[in-house]
Amino acid sequence: MKTKAHFWLWTASLATYAFLYIPLAVVVLFSFNDSVLNAEWVGFTTRWYVKLLHDDDMLHAAANSLMIALVSSSVSTLLGAMAGLSMHRYRPRWLPFLVLTPVAMPEILLGVSLLLFFRQVLDLSLGLFSILAAHITFSIGFVAVIVRARLAGMDESIFEAARDLGATPWATFRRVTLPLIMPALVAGFLMAFTLSIDDFVITFFVAGVGVNTLPLQIYSMIKVAVTPEVNAISTLLMALTLTLILVASRFAPDVLKGRS
Amino acid sequence: MSEPRTQPSGLTKWVVTLPPTAFLLTFFLATALIVVVAGFRETGEFGGLAPIDSLAALTLDAYHFLGGDVIYLEIFARSFLVAALTTLICIVLAYPLAWLIARSPKRRRDFLVLLVILPFASNFLVRIYAWIMLLGPVNLLYTPFAVVVGMVYAHLPFMVLPLYTNLEKHDPALLEAAQDLGANGWTRFWRVTFPLSLPGIFSGSALVFIPVLGMFAVPELLGGTGDILIGNLIKEQFLENRDWPLGSALSIMLTVCVLALAGLTAWASKRGLHGTEAVT
Amino acid sequence: MSPPYHQCRVFALILSAALLLASLPLRAADTLYLYNWNNYISEDTVKRFEAHCRCQLKQDYYSDNEEMLAKLEAGAVGYDVLVPTGNAVESLVRRKALREIDKAKLPNLRNVKREFLDAWFDPGNRYSVPYATSVTLLGYNASKMKELDLPTDSWALIFEPKHLQKIKGRVTVLNSQRELMAAAMKYLGYSVQEHDPAKWGEAKRLILRAKPYWAAFSNSTYIKDLAIGTIWVAHGYSNDMFRAQQDAAAAKRPFTIGFATPKEGAVLAVDNFVLHKSGRRPDLAHQFIDFMLEGRNAGDVSNLIGAGNPNAAATQHILPEIAVSPGIFPPPAELQRLEMLRDFDPKLRRSLSRMWTEIKVR
Repeated sequence: MKTKAHFWLWTASLATYAFLYIPLAVVVLFSFNDSVLNAEWVGFTTRWYVKLLHDDDMLHAAANSLMIALVSSSVSTLLGAMAGLSMHRYRPRWLPFLVLTPVAMPEILLGVSLLLFFRQVLDLSLGLFSILAAHITFSIGFVAVIVRARLAGMDESIFEAARDLGATPWATFRRVTLPLIMPALVAGFLMAFTLSIDDFVITFFVAGVGVNTLPLQIYSMIKVAVTPEVNAISTLLMALTLTLILVASRFAPDVLKGRS
Repeated sequence: MSEPRTQPSGLTKWVVTLPPTAFLLTFFLATALIVVVAGFRETGEFGGLAPIDSLAALTLDAYHFLGGDVIYLEIFARSFLVAALTTLICIVLAYPLAWLIARSPKRRRDFLVLLVILPFASNFLVRIYAWIMLLGPVNLLYTPFAVVVGMVYAHLPFMVLPLYTNLEKHDPALLEAAQDLGANGWTRFWRVTFPLSLPGIFSGSALVFIPVLGMFAVPELLGGTGDILIGNLIKEQFLENRDWPLGSALSIMLTVCVLALAGLTAWASKRGLHGTEAVT
Repeated sequence: MSPPYHQCRVFALILSAALLLASLPLRAADTLYLYNWNNYISEDTVKRFEAHCRCQLKQDYYSDNEEMLAKLEAGAVGYDVLVPTGNAVESLVRRKALREIDKAKLPNLRNVKREFLDAWFDPGNRYSVPYATSVTLLGYNASKMKELDLPTDSWALIFEPKHLQKIKGRVTVLNSQRELMAAAMKYLGYSVQEHDPAKWGEAKRLILRAKPYWAAFSNSTYIKDLAIGTIWVAHGYSNDMFRAQQDAAAAKRPFTIGFATPKEGAVLAVDNFVLHKSGRRPDLAHQFIDFMLEGRNAGDVSNLIGAGNPNAAATQHILPEIAVSPGIFPPPAELQRLEMLRDFDPKLRRSLSRMWTEIKVR
């Protein structure tokens, strides 16, 4: 009976993975398609990748996007984890609302009002900073919610045990809390990363002159039609993300594993 | 559940609470205020907002306009329906996957999580266009079905990840104990695992349900002639129609609805939990 | 060694590296910032201009006038030159967002065709110089239309059920309140700048009657849909139809794509160069506009995307198949029947938006 349940679990999971990866296979496949129209398979080519390597705009935009995603997801993981911890341990009534409202607010509104705020209240010049601040604002909630879900129903006695043994709050945090919430931090970081690297609407408004990100570049191109070049950059971006994360996990296994 | 003791951690509380609060107060609350006020302002002659001279310039026009019209209510209802359906499908798809990941050997877990999120490191629009290519030839493009598929696809990781982080921590020993007591697979699942994973389901649902409501690209690209959602309506006010007060008013109504719903769910789940505690 | 410290170090390292890379200076000393539609100036032209002015041309892109207006309205600054359509020029002028053009610095302004000067949105061209045009018209699968014996020279094709029933589910129309309702107004014989809500109401009813036969509201996917052959009739822009035609021919499709301006008239869009007040380099901006008014440079945009061209000196540089297309370059008689969109007052805008919502929901 156990094996039967196991069988169904695997089948369902593989089906979900397939659902996630089938469109992706189309993206990757058509990045090698020798047709501008890009509607049906014509022939194999790598010319889109060659073209891409000479497209400075696109490469610069991709570099910007990666940078912004890395920084904003790191910061929002930190702040979101704090908010999640606070919501779990100290239950300030207003914090869940403060954290959740940016998630609930339509992004176009968030974009316009952040721009109004940066320009007309702070009189800030737009640039990378404004994009980072905006991305962190809408990512904190996602991380906080996931950290809180991890902590919910957690046995409080371990924390007390640690304290009773005379551990300082910092030591308790390092030795008990951190390893405990590490999977949530990893998941939250990954979520914030994809939110940032994919965001068009808010970035469109808060980006300063001459600061381009990949979604901005792709949206304006797609107005005409999706060319295989867009597929190629998406494929590269995924490969790069995968490499980055694998390298990071190799050099800092603890960061990913979350246990000593 | 014992209440956490607070006396040794007064400082810790502020160290943990203050930074995110300060950040959100600066970058979000101030911004939100602009929005709330915008909902009460007049439209400028050529769009945007009319200059504001005094408090007398504020008006309830936008709300009157929306309030006196069932058509907007209909769009709200439709959007909540699509969001609920998307959330439900996400739960069904995500649960087995999250479970599988949570029960795999430790060294494999992070890789499996990475596999879930990896497709989302490509580009959102490119993925939606991939769906156009997949759904077009089978005549499913430009239908409500296509909209739901696109919504589920775009939000699935936001269900899988919270569920996984929640399921991962459950003690397998608890399940074994249940098994020793002779509970069979389904009973064990419904009585032990499922209630324990409720916080994961709730957080995942919040992270799926809420963003779906504001989404406009999916109905625009995959939907047919009748697929308009609240996200499209709001976008139209800010762009094509240049009616910011109306857009703000719609957004505020949406946000209030969502927060009320979230508050209600939290309250209900708390009552529910206490209820089960009382039973056991 | 305790792992958390190790983690912090690695994290800090990644963070600081990222910050360092992100903060590298991107700006050159002499840079002109252009806020433009994507693919609206060929790479060649950009290179030639950069060589000509010994400066750098940096472009940011929008895909819709409204996106650009909203961003500027909320306070974005730093753009020297924008490329808005007529109605957006009017709105920018009224908001006092533009810098006046110094015509003494634009000797090539004489190249612009007379009929495109002195337009209603900017009398005397104090602020704007026309760059490219397009017509909102009907693109169609010519082989199918012939087979089904359908008229391709009238809006009746997308509004009359007697035609539509032959092509049910094979039609897309623009997902734009302004454009679609304007097409309906033209079919009804009204002006697209009409102020009477009752007449707009007629347009709404016309659209609602036709809507069940349409597949979708589409602003961009119709190019591909037409070229593949899944959609047979599309309401869209002349340059997009040109692209669909080229794509279908390049892919050796068994059918051809045609496009024509309906005889009832249509919407003409004229995109213009204007100077934003916040721009820091009006000198370079003037240099740029004058450069773009030279025949060869002006002609490039037509060859690049099949845009119509208001520049007389450009004609000899434009590929013949584009220059003779009546959909792209409307003959003088047809030009009379074309109208530009114009922005309405907030009250009419709100009631039109209400009609549009109803169109979408019903």
